[in-house]
Amino acid sequence: MTGFAELLLSGVMSGLIIGLAGLAVTLVFGIARFSNAATGDTMTLGAYGALLGTTLTGSLIVGGLVGLLAGALAAVLSYVLVFRQLANRSPISSLLASIGLAFFIRAGLGLAFGHNQSVFQLDIVRPIRFLGLRIQPNDLKFAAIALVTLVIVFILLHMTPIGRRMRAVADNPLLARVSGIAPRPVMFTLWSMAGAVSAIAGIILGMKTVVSPEMGWDMLLPAFAAAVLGGIGHPVGAIVGGLVIGVAQELATPFVGFTYKIAVSFIVLLLVLLVRPRGMFGRVEGVR
Amino acid sequence: MNLTRRQTLASLAAFAGSGLMPSLTFAQDAGTFRIGALNPITGAGGPYGTGMQKMIAAAAEVVNAAGGAAGRMFEVFAEDTQTQPQAAVLAAKKLIEVNKVQAVLGTWSSGVSLAVLPLTSEANIPLFHCSGAPALSVAPANEKKLGYRYQATNDRFGRAFAEIATKEGFKRPATMAFNNASGIGNTEGFEKAWKAKGGEIVASVVYEPAQPSYRAELQKILDAKPDVIVMGSYIADTTIILREWYQTGEENKFIMPAWAGNPELVKALGPDVVEGIISVDSISNEGSPAFAAFDAAYQSAVGQPGLTNVYAAMTWDMVTVLALAMEAAGPGADMAAINAKIREVANPDGKQVSSFAEGKEALKSGPINYEGASSVLDFDEFGDVTPDFAASFIRSGEIKREYVVTL
Amino acid sequence: MDAYLIAIAIISGIYLLLALGLNLQFGLTGLINFGHVGFFCVGAYTSAILSTNGVPVALSLLAAALVGMLAAWPLGVISIRLREDYFAIASLGFSEIVRLVATSEGWLTNGVQGIAGIPRIFSSVTGQSQAIAMLASVTVCCVLAILAMRRIVRSPFGRMIEAIRDNEEAVKSLGKDPAGFKMQVLLLGSMLAGLSGALYAHYIGYISPDQFIPFITFQIWMAIIMGGVGRISGTVAGVIILMLFLEGSRFLRDLAPFIPEVAMASIRLGAIGLALMLFTIYRPQGLMGDYTKR
Repeated sequence: MTGFAELLLSGVMSGLIIGLAGLAVTLVFGIARFSNAATGDTMTLGAYGALLGTTLTGSLIVGGLVGLLAGALAAVLSYVLVFRQLANRSPISSLLASIGLAFFIRAGLGLAFGHNQSVFQLDIVRPIRFLGLRIQPNDLKFAAIALVTLVIVFILLHMTPIGRRMRAVADNPLLARVSGIAPRPVMFTLWSMAGAVSAIAGIILGMKTVVSPEMGWDMLLPAFAAAVLGGIGHPVGAIVGGLVIGVAQELATPFVGFTYKIAVSFIVLLLVLLVRPRGMFGRVEGVR
Repeated sequence: MNLTRRQTLASLAAFAGSGLMPSLTFAQDAGTFRIGALNPITGAGGPYGTGMQKMIAAAAEVVNAAGGAAGRMFEVFAEDTQTQPQAAVLAAKKLIEVNKVQAVLGTWSSGVSLAVLPLTSEANIPLFHCSGAPALSVAPANEKKLGYRYQATNDRFGRAFAEIATKEGFKRPATMAFNNASGIGNTEGFEKAWKAKGGEIVASVVYEPAQPSYRAELQKILDAKPDVIVMGSYIADTTIILREWYQTGEENKFIMPAWAGNPELVKALGPDVVEGIISVDSISNEGSPAFAAFDAAYQSAVGQPGLTNVYAAMTWDMVTVLALAMEAAGPGADMAAINAKIREVANPDGKQVSSFAEGKEALKSGPINYEGASSVLDFDEFGDVTPDFAASFIRSGEIKREYVVTL
Repeated sequence: MDAYLIAIAIISGIYLLLALGLNLQFGLTGLINFGHVGFFCVGAYTSAILSTNGVPVALSLLAAALVGMLAAWPLGVISIRLREDYFAIASLGFSEIVRLVATSEGWLTNGVQGIAGIPRIFSSVTGQSQAIAMLASVTVCCVLAILAMRRIVRSPFGRMIEAIRDNEEAVKSLGKDPAGFKMQVLLLGSMLAGLSGALYAHYIGYISPDQFIPFITFQIWMAIIMGGVGRISGTVAGVIILMLFLEGSRFLRDLAPFIPEVAMASIRLGAIGLALMLFTIYRPQGLMGDYTKR
């Protein structure tokens, strides 16, 4: 029984990271209407930013903020330089350009930091025992950060004027423009939010694992799956989608082994799409 | 647009056609011998490749300074495999066909060596490599016996793990392997050797790279209560696994290859986590004069101690062995004759020599046995070497060699 | 020099077959297939397994094309009706599943050890003539594929898939089912990928799962985007650019010795990324293309 619970716990932790990355994907999709393949590498950028900040200042919190800023800045820049130019073209153009951007960011990080791994120097501590379960204090902190991120995104979207405008653009860009909503502040807010969320996902992933130029790209597929699973454009859905994928992967390991567990996320995704093509939480109008 | 298409097709045809033109054969200069340095400059082998390449050049200079091999001067042509079979095949073709090299030295990953060996064999030239995959020993890959392995096979690594586990008195080993030929080769070699000793394996796991967490994998292993976990792993995954392992509070030991259990791992995790890890490596022939010569060359070319790049020591030996075999075969010998001499100059019963100049001198009076920088370098019938292995223990953040295992 | 050029030409031909398939799927029909390497992998393994077990190479090549095509069928059944970017993700996932199967099912594929000693095409001849025979086979396959593509473009079928690309809703309103056409296109493209994979396996002589990573798919994407989407001449041009680029970086070292060699991998990747961005922004029709609908 504890074995099952521990698998569940480890699935939840992986799921939160996947979900955060999925949240960044879904935010961009909801408003800019394309799948941003550069999300993974923005994560990596955030992790390296945090690493650099931590090394320079010696404080993990300041480092984290530097990472956040780096992610947000990179996302805004990518909008200004690349995606704004493609706004009136088919979403495919943006998707392809985002793959190019992903490669470009990864190459830049590889040049700047090399291909050897780096790590965050966290205190490695023995676990808390709770009902026979081994719980990591760090995992609790990571989970808290993930939830706080989600809450902030939710508040921004639903309780602020800019959020209202963002949702208006998401629902109907043309109508929003006609009603006098200026697209630029909306897009800048959106991209900085998406960049910051990616960076948080990257920093947590970097703290749990190791930081290397390839780390974010490797997370891209599960992140897409989470976003689609949750109903693309739906923030809470992305997190739930991530959790479902994370948990399904871990719980499936006793049956399918450790190699195929990666495939589980796609199979879950395909099954859900077969039954419910708009994802778990998706609105009908989101899909053809 | 028709015009453009025609032009394009025409240029494509010209491109393809230029390949069909009769070859411009260069008159081979009898005074030189061309060798190809085919190393992993970029990609996964990147940390080693540049040093390997520089040592091929350095060793070639040493041979040339001693008057050349059987009077022929070495000329080195370098290419990057990118640690990818496909890129390596094109690079090898270029070396063989454009540069007309007569030996290819220093491929690193098993996938690359397996892809290049058929090409070199077809051209009837030898391939000296540092890959671990067992398939490289035998037909079909090594049908012509022109492949020579300067690194221990993964299988031998596994046998060394088993020796060390026995010596340390472990009873309940479990294995964890990175899902590639090298990772699985290590743990399978261990399992075979361990079962042959009558032992049992309590659990084994093969895992995929780039996971956010390895808790499920670890849990399966730890549920079996092993007293030691034998790893076939790399540095990044080992870092994550060890961190998560420490956080479970278990107390078992680890045996792992040295490319995972290295100073970088200690730096990443701190001395508490890595305390007591047994790190195993095939050892360079460190006390030997050949190693001293290599070490000096490596220091001056790369600026780091030679111990940091065991593969560079292997490429150093590759050039020396080739030169000695040429010397033994005599002036103007063809590749088949040179190939026939490789074991003669490297394996026992001859006068032990440790450099080309020394060997050249000794060959005048009788057979020699080159004792290399990377190992004593005795090739078996498959062209494989059996180096010694060192068991190093990590204690208080220092990696210290405690004993040597001879298979 | 000649054998090196032949080698480049052979690899170009193999890439060209892949690119032609993708051009049919994306360029003509608008199907975003990010899993192309999966069918390349299936073809390579099919032919490798059959021919190492004594099946004549000619037959194993045919089988590879067929199995590559059949492998696309389940993907199509599940996801062809999905929205285009969902299909993209599903296909990417599919190619990863293919790679995982090749990794795990050791009884069939020899797992991570890979399959070595795959026989050459025309194994009776050796050396230079072997390479020329290989080049000839690849060229024949490419020419046939190009001729077939031209037939398709000019046929009613070709007009239909282009209509689907340009306006799927309009096609539906005419009472035609786009999914059926998309399925045929997916199968055809995958057949070419399977054939290409088989040629690759027989040429390289050794395959292992880690050769079939999604990066291959994106290289092909770069080729068709740069050359010109939807045009056969563009596909050919794109593959040539891709090969010039990949092999050219080999000679870059002589031209720019100040670049450290370890940086080359990053520079190569960054240049692919930059080219993808610049082309989608400034020249979406590619080098050869002339239509600007996208």
